[in-house]
Amino acid sequence: MKRSYWFVVLLSLSILVFSMGTAMAEGARLGIVVPLTGPYGTYAEEMKRGAEIAAAEINATGGVLGKPVEIITRDSELNAGIALRRFKEMVQQDGIKTIGGTLSGGISTVVNEWACKNKVLYMTFCHTSFPLGKENCGYSFTTGIIPYMSGVAVAKYSFENLGKSWMNISADYRWGHDQLAAWMVTSDKMGGKFLGNIYTPLGTRDFSAYIPQILAKKPDILVLSLFGTDLTSAIKQFAEMGLSKRLKIVCPKTAMAIAKECGAAYDENVYGAVTWYWTAQDYYPKARKFVDAYMKKYTTPPDADADSGYVATMALFEAMRKAGTVDDVDKLIETLEGQVWQYNKGPEGFRPCDHARTSSVFVVQGKGAKAEGWDVFKVISEVPYWQTLESCENNAKDYPYGQVKLPGK
Amino acid sequence: MFDLSWEIVAMQMIFGLALGCVYVLMAGGLSIIFGLLDVVNFAHGTFYMLGAYAIFVAVSLCGNFWLGLVSAVVIVALIGGVIEWLLLKPLYKRDPLYPLLLTFGVSICIPDIIKICFGLIGKVVPYPSGLMGAFMWGPVMIPKYRLFIIVLTLVVLITLWLFLNKSNLGMIIRASTRDSMMTQVLGINVSRIWTVGFMIGIGLAALAGAVAAPMVASIPDMGVEMTIECFVVVVIGGLGSLGGAIIGGLLIGQVISFVALFAPSWSNVAIFMVMAIILIIRPRGLFGEEGRL
Amino acid sequence: MEKLTDIKREKGKVGFVDKSVWITLLILLVLPFLISKPLATEILIYGLFALAFNLLLGHTGVLSFGHAAYFGVGAYAGGMALRYFHVSVWTSLVVAMVVTALVAAGIGALAIKKKGVYFAMISLAFAQMFYFMALSPFRKWTGGEDGLKFIPILKLEFPFPVDLTSALPLYYFTFFVVGLAIIALWRILDSPFGRVLKAIRENEVRTRATGYNVNRAKFLSLVISGSFSGLAGALFTIYLGYGSLMTLFWMTSGSILMMTLLGGMHTFIGPVVGVGVFMYLQNTISVYTDRWQLFVGALFVALVLFFPDGLVGTIKMKYRERKSRA
Repeated sequence: MKRSYWFVVLLSLSILVFSMGTAMAEGARLGIVVPLTGPYGTYAEEMKRGAEIAAAEINATGGVLGKPVEIITRDSELNAGIALRRFKEMVQQDGIKTIGGTLSGGISTVVNEWACKNKVLYMTFCHTSFPLGKENCGYSFTTGIIPYMSGVAVAKYSFENLGKSWMNISADYRWGHDQLAAWMVTSDKMGGKFLGNIYTPLGTRDFSAYIPQILAKKPDILVLSLFGTDLTSAIKQFAEMGLSKRLKIVCPKTAMAIAKECGAAYDENVYGAVTWYWTAQDYYPKARKFVDAYMKKYTTPPDADADSGYVATMALFEAMRKAGTVDDVDKLIETLEGQVWQYNKGPEGFRPCDHARTSSVFVVQGKGAKAEGWDVFKVISEVPYWQTLESCENNAKDYPYGQVKLPGK
Repeated sequence: MFDLSWEIVAMQMIFGLALGCVYVLMAGGLSIIFGLLDVVNFAHGTFYMLGAYAIFVAVSLCGNFWLGLVSAVVIVALIGGVIEWLLLKPLYKRDPLYPLLLTFGVSICIPDIIKICFGLIGKVVPYPSGLMGAFMWGPVMIPKYRLFIIVLTLVVLITLWLFLNKSNLGMIIRASTRDSMMTQVLGINVSRIWTVGFMIGIGLAALAGAVAAPMVASIPDMGVEMTIECFVVVVIGGLGSLGGAIIGGLLIGQVISFVALFAPSWSNVAIFMVMAIILIIRPRGLFGEEGRL
Repeated sequence: MEKLTDIKREKGKVGFVDKSVWITLLILLVLPFLISKPLATEILIYGLFALAFNLLLGHTGVLSFGHAAYFGVGAYAGGMALRYFHVSVWTSLVVAMVVTALVAAGIGALAIKKKGVYFAMISLAFAQMFYFMALSPFRKWTGGEDGLKFIPILKLEFPFPVDLTSALPLYYFTFFVVGLAIIALWRILDSPFGRVLKAIRENEVRTRATGYNVNRAKFLSLVISGSFSGLAGALFTIYLGYGSLMTLFWMTSGSILMMTLLGGMHTFIGPVVGVGVFMYLQNTISVYTDRWQLFVGALFVALVLFFPDGLVGTIKMKYRERKSRA
């Protein structure tokens, strides 16, 4: 069979060709790993794009220490093992000392542990818990927020404006639990009435089975501590049952893509929290530059994950410029602690004690059928960080949210 | 916990019934394909996903849900026919392992093609006007769209039964299932019958996907878990038995619905546990034929 | 209906295993200097997993679509032993093998008598069940989707201290264990038991008619295959430093099948070659495009249609054809 010969020859040639592809850059590099394949590919792609826009901006203003900067992106396939392998390769083979990503909070804590053991600077792009308790080991900085922050922001708004009695549906993993804890603590402080909770496995597509219970309890507010297609399915199915006419739906984390996927179902009765939304350019003119550059290259406006990637990259490369080094990790950490900036919204920075971003949270409302193009949210409030971020001492003890006795756990 | 009233039980049963109907359509298609071709279609969930995308495209083009539904089923069934003709047919003479492996390969390629064509963000298919909201039967809420799914499945099953038992083509298909060599000797082109049978099975999967689309966003990876759940239904009902697929599907729908009520974190595991129990007490499945395994 | 072709027993034995095994071990010895060390370590681990998987598929003729169950159970068993019971690294490997063997025995008792495709589907369903169990109801012990973390920093004490967090020592530790396992598997297949398995693969009915207890042989094959897969899983946990939920994911079952087929399921060492080629390709292609699954899937379809003997199998056949023509 001649075919098999050619097959093997072709295979060997392609292997050779591919291996010639890696060139060693000399300037500053940020190696990021995000789940480009898999269910969160959209958000991962945004992180990558945000980082690349920032890198282009840095290069347009002279690069770092006279040389252009480079973003190297790899796919984690939403798999911590593969993410670690990619990071190990970048650090051990390519000599990179500054890494970034991922999307999953769980994976980010695994990478955080590894970064500390290997003394590598890790810029976390996503919502992560590493600043809390024993996970905080000093080598990571986050441009996402600590999960409880968005829960607290939107809970405060809800108890002030939407009602008092509430029920929660949480995806049964750490982030979902964090949101429930945030709501339970805030509810105690503000006189809310907790009616019950449902844990759904991550990846649930059919929420219709939970509707009878919700109807029976008649809450003012239904909290959906879900994300991705879980959240989209839930909102669509609850809208189908006319649930959003009987109560308010509040999502501690939402996104432009979710509202787009829900279409008319994501109406004025659906509220949510984001760390950033592109209409912020209307009152933060500096954001316009970012939005324009992004839209010019990708035709859709950037969303919160793009902002995360952008901010982390900009902060890192500016720190390199300030510190005068590209790979002295300890010096970079020193520079980043207490670094402040104003890029796409108000002034913010990294808190020295736990490296958390002093980020505000936007409370947004849906527009349903009135949404035009990508203008799917109405920003109704911006909650500053001092109303949501706990003190350094509290975070070190993972108090109060880590100490909450969650129902059924 | 909370008070278990009959209204909640009734509503859970109805939701479970609607869910079960989707599984019935899927498992029915899988059973037909296995019964006729001896092929376990590992890409069955992929065609479910294609059905959800096809209806999105059709509805975007013509604006009418019903037209979109029918065209989605037809288009995806045709795609299935082409795949069977080009890729599966050469493998029938080999070990039955190979067609299964091929369908597995297909199930990996096609979602990526969809991602290239449609991107990663899910697609919205609106509910047909008139089927949003619910009837109120006393305090019990009966969602209109779920009722539609139940009625549709019933209609499809009756049509299928009539077709298989009363029409000429249906009779030929049944004969090929029983004894393909004999049917061939009688002068019938069995190869073409197999393609038709495959297309019917795929059509059912596409229907299930198209009908599910308004309830969830159409995303490229929605087929995978559905394939596995389908396998569970078919193992419970008995491989090769259409009746088993129906009973199995309805049973699974109820199981998922009630487990969601009492112990939500087990709702994914529950169906596999039911499968394990059935395997212990009745290994061939509820309606499986002895000797088929 | 065409049957899977028979490969005659190789006359190329050197010492106590075949020379192809020695060549592969030699290549694996120097592999970390040819490609990245993490990738090389993963090739070792998945290579063992593939060999164990192929014991059941290529040599006994039973397709399991849920082998991730054994890989994952081994990964978690080893990890939990390390985290909750603070055992030594060697003990965690043994624990993993024993626990996985029990799980394989359980599944085998329920399903091994079933016909090919039935067993394939049931094995997949069981693997999914374990995945969802680790994800939700048992997350207090398994860590749910975050995985099993806070495993103590791994060091080898016996026979001499080795730091397992450093890339090269970790590689050679893994190489040592995998090497022993490969030799063990080869010896199992070369034994009379191995020949019974081959007979079952060729013609189950005839083997049963000659008086062999086919069900018991298949059951044993499954248990051995599962146990070595569990060993690979435990090694994976040690390599990562934590227990990953993905070890139980269905795609892991699918990947190992593809890699085994790529290398050639009717040869002994084929699966290891398949793993090496596949992982290297996947690692490299995904640098250039996010849609690497399309390439991999298309490659797999082409394999099934045109090259069912895989790389090594096809090369072997050509070599034999050449020899017989000369």
